[in-house]
Amino acid sequence: MLATDVSTTQRDVWLTPLELLLRHRLRFFAEVRDGVDLPHKLAGLLVCAALGFAIFGAVIGSEHSALQAVAAALKLPLLFIVTLLVCLPTLYFFNSIFGASLDLSQNLALLLAAIAMTAIVLLAFAPVVIFFEITTGNYQFFKLLNVAIFVIAGGIGVRQLSEGMRLLQLSDRRSLKARTRILYLWILLYAFVGSQLAWTLRPFFGAPGLPFEWFRGLGGNFYTNIFASFGELFGFFTVR
Amino acid sequence: MSDANSTPEELILAMLRDVLARQAQQMDLRAQQTARAPIAPTVLMPLRREPDSPIVARTESPSAPREPAVATKSTDEWSETDEPHPLSPAEEQMLKEFNDEAARPLTPSNLPRLLRGLVLALLLLLLVANAPLFEGNSLARALSDQQSLIIRDGLLLKGSAPDVYVIERSQKRWISSLNVFEVYRYQWADVHMVDDQFLNQFPNGKPLYLLVKCPTSPHVYRIENERKRWIKDIPTLLSEGHQWQDVRDMPCAQLRAIPDGAPIPPDAGTPPQP
Repeated sequence: MLATDVSTTQRDVWLTPLELLLRHRLRFFAEVRDGVDLPHKLAGLLVCAALGFAIFGAVIGSEHSALQAVAAALKLPLLFIVTLLVCLPTLYFFNSIFGASLDLSQNLALLLAAIAMTAIVLLAFAPVVIFFEITTGNYQFFKLLNVAIFVIAGGIGVRQLSEGMRLLQLSDRRSLKARTRILYLWILLYAFVGSQLAWTLRPFFGAPGLPFEWFRGLGGNFYTNIFASFGELFGFFTVR
Repeated sequence: MSDANSTPEELILAMLRDVLARQAQQMDLRAQQTARAPIAPTVLMPLRREPDSPIVARTESPSAPREPAVATKSTDEWSETDEPHPLSPAEEQMLKEFNDEAARPLTPSNLPRLLRGLVLALLLLLLVANAPLFEGNSLARALSDQQSLIIRDGLLLKGSAPDVYVIERSQKRWISSLNVFEVYRYQWADVHMVDDQFLNQFPNGKPLYLLVKCPTSPHVYRIENERKRWIKDIPTLLSEGHQWQDVRDMPCAQLRAIPDGAPIPPDAGTPPQP
């Protein structure tokens, strides 16, 4: 098995797939293509992604209160994993219809790799978020800063997915154009499902002046809220 | 294809037969063209394969002539790509690099140690930022309150004076007494201390008064600054901007215990006791 080349201790066993993904990305994709050690990869990536999201969730939630930190630490991994599970069948079946030879676990491995990458990028941004958490009290700024970080991290994750799909399909050329388009449409779908679920699971930050709550009532949507935050940040109007 | 009396099932079967017949025709045509064209050789290229590496790449020879396009190919882009495209030189190079890179031996790294360190450092930082070090306030929430407030109806604000205000429709309404504060079920924990300058940006709205009466007496009083002010009659009540529905009952003994203030209007005479 290729992955055993790396000298790893027992406690690093969960980190091996992530290490492979970060340092030897092409090797990772090749192993996914060839189905090498997929269950271990899936489990390792899932654990790393969940842990990364949980820590970042705790960071953003702590701006409000300790309880909010706990809630966000639980909700953020849930958000990404549920979005993935909701969208996975679409990607798999549409790819299959258009002739892709990747099986469900390979698709899942690519998606988990994408969200694990997103989680790692978020983790890398966490010190920056803590810095701004301490040095600014402007809630709208803090929220938009984090939305920007999520966009960057999500973009890197999606780029990783797109690159993985492209590499895995280099030797599988049937309906390639169609599958590429499906991937782009799927990314849009993923973004829509993710943002709607994020709105449903909110609050992640916890608005100052409002008491802690696990979930807030539905109403409005993610996009109007971000628009309103921009409006207040630049002084056009006040969010009520 | 079928007559007008056909059932839906018969129609579907007829359509399927048509599609299959058309496909069979296309396959025949393709077979004839392939027989005329030289066959593109396909090779299995193990690229720098390691002893136990299963990585092999299936590529076409760059020099192989391309298979001619089938005359009956659909123009629909979603279906025309059923034909496998040969790799372009750039893609072949990419595939070669992919396989070369994938077959390269892995080198040990300290990444897991770094990741563990980052996670521990973040948890520590999180703890420090949220520990209540500044008079019960954490570092993360030590900054002045007003910068992070969302202005909304029901927001309670207090400046340097003892007066507490509630924000309603972009106006600040003075909460005229503790009784009002309690009756409206406000919590002291929700009162935000802000600069006077911040408070003054809101225009004054109608103060929040408590209108009470004793169940056995017709007289209505307005509680203001911990005193009860007798309201002379209903026209006065209405002219002050109050409504009869806002009047609440209070136990007579409790109401009598509140000291009298000036009546409304001030020339109304001696206030009666409830």
